[in-house]
Amino acid sequence: MQQKIVDFTNLLRKSGIRVSVAESIDAFTALDELSLGDREVFKDALRTTMVKRSEDIATFNQMFDLYWSAFYDGLRNSFDQASDEMEGDFDLEQMMQALQQGMQGMQGDQELDLSELAKALLTQDLDKLEQLIREAAEGAGVERIENMLQLGFFTRRTMEQMDAEGAGDQLRSLAQQLREAGMGEAEADALLELIDKFLEALRKSVRNYTERQLQQQNFDYMEKFRRESLLEKSFYNLTEDEIKKMREVVVRLAQRIKNVLSVRKRRLKKGKLDLHTMLRRNMAHGGVPFDLIFKQRRKERPKLVILCDVSSSVANVSRFMLQFVYSLQECFTKIRAFVFVSELGEVTPIFKDKDINDAIEKALDGGDVINVYTRSNFGFAFHHFWQNFLSSIDNKTTVLILGDARNNYNDPRAWCLRDIHNKAKDMVWLNPESPSAWGFGDSVMDKYLPHTDVAEECRNLKQLSRVVDRLVL
Amino acid sequence: MFDSPEEVIEQLDAQDYICDKNIATVVFLASKLEKPVLVEGPAGVGKTELAKVVSAATGRPMIRLQCYEGLDEAKALYEWEYSKQLLYTQILKEKFAEAMAGATTVKDAADRVGQEDSVFFSDRFIVPRPLLRAIQSEQPSLLLIDEVDKSDPEFEAFLLEVLSDFQVTVPEIGTLEAYHKPIVFLTSNDAREMSDALKRRCLHLYIDFPNEELEVKILDKKVEGIDRRLAEELVGVMQRLRKLDLKKTPSISETLDWARALLALNATELDEDLVRETLNVILKYEGDIKKTQAELGRLITRKVEEGGEAKAGEGAKAADEPKPAKKGVLH
Repeated sequence: MQQKIVDFTNLLRKSGIRVSVAESIDAFTALDELSLGDREVFKDALRTTMVKRSEDIATFNQMFDLYWSAFYDGLRNSFDQASDEMEGDFDLEQMMQALQQGMQGMQGDQELDLSELAKALLTQDLDKLEQLIREAAEGAGVERIENMLQLGFFTRRTMEQMDAEGAGDQLRSLAQQLREAGMGEAEADALLELIDKFLEALRKSVRNYTERQLQQQNFDYMEKFRRESLLEKSFYNLTEDEIKKMREVVVRLAQRIKNVLSVRKRRLKKGKLDLHTMLRRNMAHGGVPFDLIFKQRRKERPKLVILCDVSSSVANVSRFMLQFVYSLQECFTKIRAFVFVSELGEVTPIFKDKDINDAIEKALDGGDVINVYTRSNFGFAFHHFWQNFLSSIDNKTTVLILGDARNNYNDPRAWCLRDIHNKAKDMVWLNPESPSAWGFGDSVMDKYLPHTDVAEECRNLKQLSRVVDRLVL
Repeated sequence: MFDSPEEVIEQLDAQDYICDKNIATVVFLASKLEKPVLVEGPAGVGKTELAKVVSAATGRPMIRLQCYEGLDEAKALYEWEYSKQLLYTQILKEKFAEAMAGATTVKDAADRVGQEDSVFFSDRFIVPRPLLRAIQSEQPSLLLIDEVDKSDPEFEAFLLEVLSDFQVTVPEIGTLEAYHKPIVFLTSNDAREMSDALKRRCLHLYIDFPNEELEVKILDKKVEGIDRRLAEELVGVMQRLRKLDLKKTPSISETLDWARALLALNATELDEDLVRETLNVILKYEGDIKKTQAELGRLITRKVEEGGEAKAGEGAKAADEPKPAKKGVLH
């Protein structure tokens, strides 16, 4: 049992749940206190001591079923089936009794030498069998299994490892001896048949175990893949489903940034002495100022103007950027959002009276203000902005532009960007293409580059969160 | 205290708290292993309530520490009572003079004052805050650290000493150890993730929204005199409501509020108008209310279809034995 729990702990670790040594010791102490009859209680005890993050509970449940319940149940099933399959009015208990008697009678004159496996099979000691299968599987190196094709091979090796053949032979010769010792002919035949059935059940169980191992391996792989990839997966190839999951990830990242921010704020330099608060706080000390209280110097929150290219090539970047920014709304004094393909339109009002996710979807559709079914024209959009909204930019405004700068060979009108840059506090450009592609083909990134303070590649969530982090710092 | 998880269920049930085996197992283990429990889950599923009922069931007084941003040692652990110390110095001035009489040099005088140091830094002048109170309590107690996620990361660090060794170190006095290890509950709404060090020292319990059956049971227990059928209808709507994408998903406490509101309005069954009018009891955001109102038809019609059959069957049952059901509610 102990070994099994240690194995299970290792399995949890492999699937990405952090379980410390102290925690697995806790699990042991917890199990000492409980009666293990109830599987639910057993499971809860393991969970409460080893899994400390609510996100990991689903993984734990899956691994638990995979490791504990399913295999044992399968074992019992196949053995129940084996005895059920016996024909006629066969009674397992009766048979067992006869067997016991026969064996007792025999032990006197003939030496009985049964292997552990044979004994376990004969008495249907499933716990023992499970342990034997696990040990044999380990000896056969089943945990190295990688694909379906190896199932047969590892099953065979495991069977060899625990010498199933030998156990079968021993049991058959036992039946023979019993027959000679005067057991009924029909009974002896039934016993032989039962032995065959049991061996078959054992083989099935071993195969079952091997399959399970394969599943576990795959699960580890998939789980790891899922965790890492969402952060690093390129926005270009996200499926519908992943976009949904990604939303949650963005929410969590935004929350993390907020937390970090509250710490940073507190570590900001202290300002002047705050006489009011200090007098009030030190009343308890008879007005003697023991504790000095300083005013917190407030950091100016930036204004943000976002220009989002919503053509299909960068739609996803825009989507998550908008979600990020609006999740962090309180970190900015004011956010204005514009979308463009070639025309430019403001979508700020949509965010006012709609739920954030709906608003983003609407904004990406052009938000009723622009036509999204045209070809990208950055120059035209910037010019439009320069004409109508330049006045909204002051020296506290950070301008954030999202786009791949693929201008379809239109006039880039970089001078518009220059004017905007001159007025703004900061100009940040996020480009989903890698820097080596900037300026090639119809990309005019090189023309815009001199007028930005920061230009970054932004192709996955990790990069995006880094940029946002810097924005609110 | 508790001898088995089943007993936990029983005893909490006696306190009008219905819990499943998962919760019971964790509470049982917490009392056996003397480990703190970190309770997580959405707001309003009864995390704080759990601590309260365990305190009632075990007869341990509850000491509560509400966490918030900026909570520091002085408010959570202990504080020196400066004003009292000051007052004592004033009153004992003459005694000091006596003690100092005969001191020839400043150094000598300072040494003598130094000898009396322990008078001023002793239990007498310490104001115990919740954590210290829980540790020094004469009888076994229960400590509830509520919304620990709202506190600062620094605060977590000194919680560690309390949670793992049940002791508090006061530099001037020394280490104060617990007479009785208190049962500790920490609740968290997941506003931020707690550090691994803290989590490692705790048992973890995640309380989710209850399933339909459990929620009806809870309603039955908590809201006196509610009609079984109304309770079922109500819970059905709540369960469906939780599947919508809402800003704040309503939880059990909202269900209870709603049930009480409906009782006060003498409602016997739910219809669309009634739900529309009382929606603000369960939903706390304008956007959520609008969204739900748009979906209301779906939420209710589906219920009526289901309800139509259920009603027929249940009507007969109710006619047969309305009493036992009522009894269960009342006692």
